[in-house]
Amino acid sequence: MYRPCGVFDKTYLKDITIIRTWQHWAWVIGALLLLYLLPVLGFGYYLISLINSLSITIIAVMGLQIVTGYCGQISFGQPAFMAVGGFTSAILMSQYGLSFWLALPLSGVVAGLVGIIGGAPSLRIKGFYLAMATLAMHFLIMWLILHMKITGGAEGIVAPFPKIGDFELDSHERMYYLIITVMIIMTYAARNLVRSKIGRAFVAIRDNDLAAEMMGVNLYYYKLLAFFISCFYAGVAGALFVHLLTVGHPEQFPMFDAIWYIGMIIVGGMGSIPGVFFGVIFLRMLDELVLFGSPILAELFPWLGDAPASSMGLIAFGCILMAFLIFEPRGLAHRWEIIKASYRVYPFAY
Amino acid sequence: MEGGLYALVGVSIVLVYKSTQVASLAHGQLMAFGALFFYAFYSLLGIPLILALIMTFAAAYLMGLAAERVAMRPLIGQPVFAAFLNTFALYIILDGVFNIALKGGVVDFPDFLPSGYIKVLGANVPISQFVSFIVALLLFGLLAIFFRYTKIGLNMLATAENHQLAQSTGIRVKQVFSFVWALSALLAAVAGMAAANVMDISFLLPNMGIKGLTVALFGGLDSIPGALVGGLVLGILENMAAGYIDPLVGGGVKEVAAFAMMLLILLVRPYGLFGQIRIERI
Repeated sequence: MYRPCGVFDKTYLKDITIIRTWQHWAWVIGALLLLYLLPVLGFGYYLISLINSLSITIIAVMGLQIVTGYCGQISFGQPAFMAVGGFTSAILMSQYGLSFWLALPLSGVVAGLVGIIGGAPSLRIKGFYLAMATLAMHFLIMWLILHMKITGGAEGIVAPFPKIGDFELDSHERMYYLIITVMIIMTYAARNLVRSKIGRAFVAIRDNDLAAEMMGVNLYYYKLLAFFISCFYAGVAGALFVHLLTVGHPEQFPMFDAIWYIGMIIVGGMGSIPGVFFGVIFLRMLDELVLFGSPILAELFPWLGDAPASSMGLIAFGCILMAFLIFEPRGLAHRWEIIKASYRVYPFAY
Repeated sequence: MEGGLYALVGVSIVLVYKSTQVASLAHGQLMAFGALFFYAFYSLLGIPLILALIMTFAAAYLMGLAAERVAMRPLIGQPVFAAFLNTFALYIILDGVFNIALKGGVVDFPDFLPSGYIKVLGANVPISQFVSFIVALLLFGLLAIFFRYTKIGLNMLATAENHQLAQSTGIRVKQVFSFVWALSALLAAVAGMAAANVMDISFLLPNMGIKGLTVALFGGLDSIPGALVGGLVLGILENMAAGYIDPLVGGGVKEVAAFAMMLLILLVRPYGLFGQIRIERI
């Protein structure tokens, strides 16, 4: 790992820290302060709600990054597991009167357990076959949610706002602090998880599962663990999402989101936690750009009709995905590493 | 009778997988475009039926070629998973174009087949469905002959066995790939026209691609007879599920029956009914 000139690690603890120098600490604290002070600084509702939805997506995609980017098991079921988490939390709060602070981790655990069932096929099949199995899982889960009594069926379910004592988090600005705090904790956990024994086992499975088994990695345990962790993330993200919107409905978790999430991982970079941020922010910005640009486009080319907004988004998304797969298969995170490296050694080439 | 339709989509996916080892998600869109081309030529431009059919097939053929050239060719030698995701990207792009072409509405597919019913084995079947079924069977026969007796068909089989070996015997693997895609786009276009005949051209049409994938998985991704069997089984299963289970749970089973079947197949026989079991080496 990179060390600036003159910094020597004298203890083991210092050797494994993520944030190494005081400059790093300054950056981190500055960024966190900025993030937490954004609503006070008077940025508008638009930015706050954008960051809210970005953060929720980041949590969900981070789960997908763990199972797909690190463990190599492709999952198209992430929105369905988000839905499981969201509905669990909403049901626990509105029908059993549980506090939000208990319902949030519980929803993650329930989603994780469902995820173990969903990930069970990974013991026998892999690659493309597993992708299809998780896709089938998605449709089955969504069908169940739509047809069960307890989830409210097609009418959806009411999800109350979380409370701290008597203080209700009843707006996007108030939910903001909760969501970014959860996001930062989850990021911290993921960043450390992937460099632990578990994370190394995941990477070994991704690179070659047979070889990993030879080396003594318990495939069953670690594959299911990867699905559990991934779906835990999805469940928490889903719970936050449902409580932010105060209503849970199957249509909030469309199949197409699974494709977006996979796309975000590809654009950001497979097997990289910063890549999650790059991918999510990049694709969301693209989305906003298309929303902003498509009325202009519709005016310029009237023969396109009134459908271009969503269609242009699709085309742009597909083209970018294809371009990344062909020209930059390691994603934006890799590019970022290159930029960082060249900045570090600036006057020299390497 | 829907089974023949599913089998056609399934076989077009199997065809691509067999030669290139890539399972394509984009075939639902290729289907939809086949139907759209025919609609454009026949209804909008008023070209006579036979000519319109030929032009549709030509357009679908070109589209398959283009798809292979743009999306798949640069990824030869890359991990198969990247190519698989690239078919996804292709799906998304085509979906966007398709939506623009539809302008968010539904297009009535021209009735170029006679309406009415025909008695088959004591059951009343719409003539259009019967015709699609017969066409599907005919195409299967043609494919079998094609693979058995023509040179390029044999080349395709050889390529399916082993890319490098095929290349070393003088087969132009790249050419075979592009031909496979074109042929499979052609089949998908036929399937798309047959499907649009039943359900019109709407945003739902591309979803048939996922059904086709189910069929291909059921029969084994590299088995052409498997696709035929899988298609027929899925067609029967869906209608039986709708008939017997729907009253118990209140509807909607038909949509998930395919996925439930897919999950079951993957768990019990991951390589499908007739698929070749691959043994992995490190």
